[in-house]
Amino acid sequence: MRDWGAVVEQRLAGLVMEPEERTEVIAELAAHLEDICEEMLRQGMKEEEAVRRTLSRAGDWRDLQRKILAAKRREQPMKKRVWQLWIPGFLTLILSTFFLMTLQQYGLQPHIVRSGSNTVLLYPPWLAALPFFGALGAYVSSRASGSRRTAIFVSVFPTIALTGAFLFMFPFSLTIQLIMGRPVDFSRVATVLLKDGISWILVPGAALLGGGLLAHLLLSTRSSSRDTAIG
Amino acid sequence: MIAPGIKRGTAELAVLSVLEDGPLHGYEMARRIEQQTEGSLRFTLASLYPLLYRLEKRGWVRGAWETSRTGRRRRCYRLTSEGKKKLSPIRKEWAELFRALKRLTKVSHA
Repeated sequence: MRDWGAVVEQRLAGLVMEPEERTEVIAELAAHLEDICEEMLRQGMKEEEAVRRTLSRAGDWRDLQRKILAAKRREQPMKKRVWQLWIPGFLTLILSTFFLMTLQQYGLQPHIVRSGSNTVLLYPPWLAALPFFGALGAYVSSRASGSRRTAIFVSVFPTIALTGAFLFMFPFSLTIQLIMGRPVDFSRVATVLLKDGISWILVPGAALLGGGLLAHLLLSTRSSSRDTAIG
Repeated sequence: MIAPGIKRGTAELAVLSVLEDGPLHGYEMARRIEQQTEGSLRFTLASLYPLLYRLEKRGWVRGAWETSRTGRRRRCYRLTSEGKKKLSPIRKEWAELFRALKRLTKVSHA
């Protein structure tokens, strides 16, 4: 009786993977070939002919090896995260920041919204452009097979980064002022936090999120109709 | 005979469908699919095992070595609960596709 394990081992010499996993794959394929050959022998075929036919039923060994390696290949979570999260996230952040800087360079003045003694600064042309940047980030993330949650996170990435900076900067500057012995007016700090939060986080965040949600919605509608049509 | 491109698309559905009846090893799976489709779908090693490994990685099937009464060790695959959940929408998609193609090509009147 032919040693099918040795046959598979020899044909799949380039199957580079963990030794234990490789042994299992070879044993499984060898068992399959053994079953085919035995079936043919049971039908009364001569052994030589049965072996020849069994080998022909195996298909293209190179193709098999390539496909097994592709199917077993471990996904690299880090690489995936870079394309689904960090690259589109920073792209959204850089584009939105540079666009605002460019507008300011060309003399754009903020629109001042007053509420009692408080004022909030808004840049309407910049805010109008933010949905596009949010949509672009969500699009790039979705193209890299990012989940809906990741795509939404990417679209609001600039405001998350800014929130992080605020959360770090305010306690840091307060601590410095306390160390230097300067009096700290906490009610003033709270007002500044609220004003800046509205100007730089809440309103831009809503604009970015709107764009991101819209892009994701359009993409998922398109991909589901494509799946149905082509399979 | 069905063209290879179309076969490739249906392979996933075929494998999940035969596993719905119970656990099977690769050879038995291929044999049943061939029998039930009257030879229209025939798997080679290169078309069956990479697909099984992909489905296993997705968590739709689970393979485990089992020893038969004759003492032979075979790797048997069973449908997981995740795989069972996925089978229904895949079936629906294919049914929808076939209906659409039928309408488009008017196969029933040919």
